[in-house]
Amino acid sequence: MNKDIFVVIEHRQERIADVSYELLTKGYQIAEKLGGEVIAVLLADDGDQMAQSLKSYADKVLYIRNEIFKNLHSEYYCDALSSIIGERKPALILFGHTVDSFEVAPALAEQLEIPIISNCVDFDIDGDFVRATVPLYGGKINGEYSFNAENGGIISVIPGAVKVENPQKSGEIEKIEFTFEKEYDDKEFIEFIEAAAGEIDITQAEKIVAIGRGVKDEENIDMIKDFADSIGAVLACSRPIVDAGWLPKERQVGSSGKTVKPKLYIALGISGAFQHISGIKSDTIIAVNKDPNAPIFKVAHYGIVDDVFKIIPALKAKIEEMK
Amino acid sequence: MHKLLIKNELLGCIQCGRCSAGCPVSLRTALSPRKLIYKNLRESKKLPKSQDIWSCTTCRTCQQRCPKGVSVMDYIIGLRSYQVERGKIEPTMRDALESILKHGNPWGRPREKRTQWIDDETDVRILAEGEETDVLLYVGCTPAYDPEIQKSTRALAKILNDADVDFAIIGNDESCCGNEVKRMGELGLFEMLVEENTALFKKYKFNTMITISPHCYNTFKNEYALDFEILHYTQFLKKLLDEGKLQISASIEKKVVFHDPCFLGKQNDEYDAPRELLKYLLTDEDNLLEFGRNRERSLCCEGGGGRMWLEVESESPRNAEIRIDDAKSIGAEVVATSCPFCQLTLNDAVKTTKSEDKIRVMDICSLIAENKFEETEMEE
Amino acid sequence: MNSVVCIKRVPETAEATLKIAPDGKKLEEENLVFSLNDADNYALEQALLLQEEFDGDVTVISVGPPETDEIIRMALAKGATNAIRIHHDDISKLDANAVASLLAEQIKDLDYDVVFTGAFASDDAFSLVGTMLAEKLEITHITMAIEMKQDDEDEAEISRELEGGLIAKYRIKFPAVITVQTGMNEPRYASILGIKRASQKEVDVVDDPTIPENKVQLEKISYPPEGKKAEILSGTPEETSSRLAEILKQKGII
Repeated sequence: MNKDIFVVIEHRQERIADVSYELLTKGYQIAEKLGGEVIAVLLADDGDQMAQSLKSYADKVLYIRNEIFKNLHSEYYCDALSSIIGERKPALILFGHTVDSFEVAPALAEQLEIPIISNCVDFDIDGDFVRATVPLYGGKINGEYSFNAENGGIISVIPGAVKVENPQKSGEIEKIEFTFEKEYDDKEFIEFIEAAAGEIDITQAEKIVAIGRGVKDEENIDMIKDFADSIGAVLACSRPIVDAGWLPKERQVGSSGKTVKPKLYIALGISGAFQHISGIKSDTIIAVNKDPNAPIFKVAHYGIVDDVFKIIPALKAKIEEMK
Repeated sequence: MHKLLIKNELLGCIQCGRCSAGCPVSLRTALSPRKLIYKNLRESKKLPKSQDIWSCTTCRTCQQRCPKGVSVMDYIIGLRSYQVERGKIEPTMRDALESILKHGNPWGRPREKRTQWIDDETDVRILAEGEETDVLLYVGCTPAYDPEIQKSTRALAKILNDADVDFAIIGNDESCCGNEVKRMGELGLFEMLVEENTALFKKYKFNTMITISPHCYNTFKNEYALDFEILHYTQFLKKLLDEGKLQISASIEKKVVFHDPCFLGKQNDEYDAPRELLKYLLTDEDNLLEFGRNRERSLCCEGGGGRMWLEVESESPRNAEIRIDDAKSIGAEVVATSCPFCQLTLNDAVKTTKSEDKIRVMDICSLIAENKFEETEMEE
Repeated sequence: MNSVVCIKRVPETAEATLKIAPDGKKLEEENLVFSLNDADNYALEQALLLQEEFDGDVTVISVGPPETDEIIRMALAKGATNAIRIHHDDISKLDANAVASLLAEQIKDLDYDVVFTGAFASDDAFSLVGTMLAEKLEITHITMAIEMKQDDEDEAEISRELEGGLIAKYRIKFPAVITVQTGMNEPRYASILGIKRASQKEVDVVDDPTIPENKVQLEKISYPPEGKKAEILSGTPEETSSRLAEILKQKGII
């Protein structure tokens, strides 16, 4: 088996995604084991600065340049990647398991006729075999998958699964001006649209801070909205808040409101009435409520029995510190 | 002429408006049964496409007040069934129905957790197939899964044990009775539930079935063809009281008003059993107050007809809030209920009207349990 | 416009207690409720909406055992016109490439403009089959579609839902594979009467398909090392919020 690890760098609007650094960290560990190099593969248009910021994490930065790489177009990406991978034959190709990887990684696996395991929290190499751990059924069960990597393979890793370490390398940048022989015009990038405030669809939110009657007064909502913004969460609520007219109906979670499935659900001053709970499907539910007997504590994963208005400012400060 | 008109005798309508005048949601929504019938009489081939039909709580006031025997409520349910067949229903209602089909309850909870209301202090026998009991307690979906109502379910079990009643439950195989399913217009699912539940009940030997919810009581008694006695728990407890098997000593000094649930009261003519039980609980019978709109005129709490899963747009306060205000204005300190939906909607209304320190909403099981047993789970 | 919708039968596991079967490779199915994969439900609805606007056929296709007919019938009840089931006893034994190959083998001979799939399945969440299928059919693809706008039958404007609520808009020309994110539309309800009527429609069963060898093997499944539920953090607001912030960071949520 070959020895180098390719890490396909994910970037958007000239910013490199955090997961790429995580992959470079993991890639380095694996490359060391194999006796090879970890190589950052950057497909970009105006990528000189990005290439520079990758240098300390990789033995080499392969900066493949073309105007079309400014925005993700899977057919051009796969064309270039297939070409370079066909040439350099890395042991493994790593992607972050992200929305953009869904466009590229499986197509690449198909074109190169190599195996792919996606959605991993960890993986390792054992001789010719790659073994990966995948959280199944929403994380309730772990699956161990494997493939024979003698002809290469692709792994995509869930963001946040690897702790980033900067090995302080001094990777050289190899810049390649890539030209295409084919045109792929069945697909065309148009534009990005930022999520408009006020048109939030809480059912699609990954993080939710929900308020209930324990919030007591409409004036208090601002402070909580502030906290929600600081952690990138969307504000939602239980029915009484909507009834009181403090938040619009679109924000209501529950059996006569919406069902949400966020990664994080923080319930503030919510008693946990069943009709509200039945609208929450989440693996991390945090409850803050003054009442130790509030039913919300039966469904939460973590709970704090205290005043919401003491906890939230403290929590916000702690999180700021950690950034 | 559309068959829905014929089936429900719509041609008999004289447009007197008694239906709309008695409709408990006509004040806060655009629903007007009289207008719906008028639309259909004018354009008798096409059914009105009104979405107002989803505000209906199926309390049946309209049908009961009609002087010409028009099946007004059944007609509205019929209109609903056409929309159900077309698949275009509110997502919340869709989810409740799909949950009933998949899990046997509308709350999206797994079947395997249907008996989790039973805690270490609650002694309940779960029947195996072929086993015998005197009384089968049909728990129901909301009493089984809703944490607030589960307290009442446990209270009832305690009361039955204390009175040495030989009772048992079906356990996790118990499924939704379908009362709301029918009223939401999903007639196919309702028929399926009737078939399955009827077969299920045949697997056990028992003399009497008692239910916690009047909704379950209503459909089992009137819409299934079951060959055993079916009672609402208030009727059963009243029987026990009369036979001297249930001891209740008067201990409540507060002023209590009973809220007649539509599915026990106006639809099944049971107004007295709950009141008798309450009279025994009160130290002074005069403390049992009455709402102006009581008995067959009781103001529907808006929990029935699928309304637990359907919101209505309205500027006006919810009926439950009006009811709490009424209770306060007559000087009541406790509103007594005997239906899980009334319990939930009225209790919510106590919170939204900020009346927590003035009114408590308690169902009769909990009031009796509080009276009999020292430890109770009720909120102060 | 004709569309094909790839659907998968998955267990509902959000609140269920999961038990691993003795062979260590599957779940005990006794108390599990199976249903149509959530994202596939939105994919199906999108195909039906397309049918309402442009006319045409909606063919649902699935790989699986006879029990899979339950979800196929529900799709037919909602308005799908044709149904194909590629028989396989146990789809947990197939890797994504094998599934995509089996689907491609049937779809390539159909007259279609668009293939809809769910963006991910609630059991393994690999998000592989849709894109692999597009490659095998040699057509373009777009994943995580949250909105679709069409003026004519040749192309559409697709909004992809990226992390953080950012939307990326693309124009695609048919034929194409579109993988659908949950929330793209509001799926309709299939009534019991509708499902009963649909059981009279025929499902085209491919009895003995050629199954490609797996490139990826499932070695085993196991329970993750678990913490308890409802851990109550105690102490001063300083202490509890500190601990909470740590927990969130550890979970990679912050």
